[in-house]
Amino acid sequence: MGKLILAASLGLTCLLSTATVALAEAPGTEDPNNWPQYNRTSNAWRYSPLDQINKDNVSKLSVAWIAQGGDITMGIQETPLAIDGVIYSITSGNRVAALDAKTGQEVWNYQPKLDPLTKKVLFSPYSRGVAVGDGKVFIGTVDGRGIALDQKTGKEIWQVQLTDFANCHGCNFTSPPVVAGDMLTFGSTAGELATQGKIFGVEAKSGKKVWEFNTIKDDPKSWPGTSGKYGGGGAWMPGTYDAETNTVFYGTGNPGKDFINEDRQGDNLYTDSIVALDPKTGNLKWYRQEIKQDVWDYDSAYEVLLFKKDGKDLIVHMNKSGYVFVLDKNDGSIENIWPVSDLKNFVKDIDKRTGELIGRVELPMNQETLICPSTFGGRSWNAGAYNPNTGLWYNNVLDFCGYLKPVAQKDDPKDYGTGHIGASDFGRLVMAPDGRKPGRLDARDPFTGERKWTHEMDVPGFASVLTTGGGLVFNGDPTGILRAFDADTGKVLWSFNTGSGMRSGIISYAVAGEQYILVPSGWGSYAAILLPALFPQLEKMPAASTLIAFKLPK
Amino acid sequence: MMYKLVLMTIACIFVGDAAYPQEDVPNLKDPTMIAAGHDLFLQKQCSRCHGEGGKGGINLTRRALDPRSVFQAIADGRMGSGLRMPASRDVLTDEEIWKATAYVMSISQQPK
Ligand code: HEC
Repeated sequence: MGKLILAASLGLTCLLSTATVALAEAPGTEDPNNWPQYNRTSNAWRYSPLDQINKDNVSKLSVAWIAQGGDITMGIQETPLAIDGVIYSITSGNRVAALDAKTGQEVWNYQPKLDPLTKKVLFSPYSRGVAVGDGKVFIGTVDGRGIALDQKTGKEIWQVQLTDFANCHGCNFTSPPVVAGDMLTFGSTAGELATQGKIFGVEAKSGKKVWEFNTIKDDPKSWPGTSGKYGGGGAWMPGTYDAETNTVFYGTGNPGKDFINEDRQGDNLYTDSIVALDPKTGNLKWYRQEIKQDVWDYDSAYEVLLFKKDGKDLIVHMNKSGYVFVLDKNDGSIENIWPVSDLKNFVKDIDKRTGELIGRVELPMNQETLICPSTFGGRSWNAGAYNPNTGLWYNNVLDFCGYLKPVAQKDDPKDYGTGHIGASDFGRLVMAPDGRKPGRLDARDPFTGERKWTHEMDVPGFASVLTTGGGLVFNGDPTGILRAFDADTGKVLWSFNTGSGMRSGIISYAVAGEQYILVPSGWGSYAAILLPALFPQLEKMPAASTLIAFKLPK
Repeated sequence: MMYKLVLMTIACIFVGDAAYPQEDVPNLKDPTMIAAGHDLFLQKQCSRCHGEGGKGGINLTRRALDPRSVFQAIADGRMGSGLRMPASRDVLTDEEIWKATAYVMSISQQPK
């Protein structure tokens, strides 16, 4: 009898402790074996809590399997997903595949028939990811559609044309939608296109479009005369869905024409902003513009990170200028602003309290002006990663500049291959005037910007960073070298030549008790077109579309 | 056997020539044509990928190019190293494509 009571009470304790663990689940550690959405968790940290691969054994990592993504046009740009032993992958031209996460073997694949116009438009056939929810795999296509597939079979369930592809200068989707409860939100490309960029709200079940949010505000103060007609903006990276407040946060693209502000002498809302939207209605809860009346192509489309700190709900968000905005999640008010690099001359500074651009540099027409950072930004769109154990946010930093030269340009939304940019190029790239290395991987406090360590690079990083519970940071570079760093010190612990440059997102997952690191490798995008001017090492870089999975040997 | 081989070679040359007969290639050395081609090169943002003087990321100055294949690259687009150049046939007339060709030839390595 005594024994029985003991057993019963033991059972009870167990139950209780399980419940406590579930309740006290630390942010970023949810669903540890999976990578279920673009930035893994809804706080967008790109942190995998898995720790089987750690500082002591990372040097033993070996290849578990390799899969080919098919078409290599413009490289592989995706962050794959891993859910319950299945990889969901999307490669060039929106080719979707489900792979066995243990073997890399294909379970199914799907490719939409694309509008031939996709061969001409500026941002195509870029495919940066898929979203999964409600038993479906969702994609946004490079011809402006939303498509839902059956998660088990890959069979199409519904599709909906969202952008007016042929009439909006080829505005489309290069990123996956965000699953926001029973809604999906899709953000369109626009910054360099003669159009008005939109965010669409669609029912996940049916594909029915419920709302659209125009990133170009209908307001003559913000957009004098007809300047807003082709104002650009858009939201070409996935937003962050916060279930706690039922809000979807998106960063928006730059105003057009990129380099000419003559006719748009206003704030140019809601370009280069964070917008907080109600996913049910598309209603704007608040916005925070980061770069007012941009002329340097500093999109704010990058990932929106969420934190709870000292009782406050915070957003950390970098835009292309390299300035990081720390905001109150509930109203967008400014907590702090700090730069990822001191290599910046487009302004003297940004006021840490008001967000005002101090001493902005304008661009005279038909004349070159040296602007730092370049139009690739202080960092590219590939996300950073935050590790809650080190309290550090790891980001690739681009430390080079460009000469910008605005020239007059006619508006022509039918001239699909020509950017609505007000220049004949995205700037002539040059190294930093002070002779520093052109890039580095930085580990910083996300709130203050204080730097703990840095790893300098001869060719800067253009891929998304991964950090793990094993105390590691993984980063890939354009020459194809994948490195694992000690998350505390920045010491390189392991490296591997993947054979082509990296422009995508490294993830980690576990299946059957084993942890994997999954690395997409395949150089492409405008970076591949433009960077050889500055980095001749890249001129002969072969393109590819490869997924390489690593694990520890048994 | 020998006879067949010769025939095939002739057929190939014929196909190659039929697309752009030699006599249709305008004078690509004409400076006004080269200048007009340079304007187009900037206006149509060829410079976006090739740089203002063709010395950008995809460098056109270090190649020996053939005018007809340049015409075709501009008209129909080109793929190389997994990178895509869009076709311009819909936005440029043949005359304009020849102008752009003249400019590209003027900056590329001339065949010796
Ligand atoms: C989106 C980027 C892009 C744009 C815009 C672009 N090109 Fe290209 N171009 C390429 C790529 C990619 C290639 C193929 C790769 C290579 O040849 O190295 C190429 C190849 C070429 C070639 C072929 C050279 C050869 O070796 O046969 C010529 C000539 C050329 N481009 C001229 C032009 C002209 C003229 C324009 C403007 C009408 C233009 N390009 C616009 C990217 C571009």
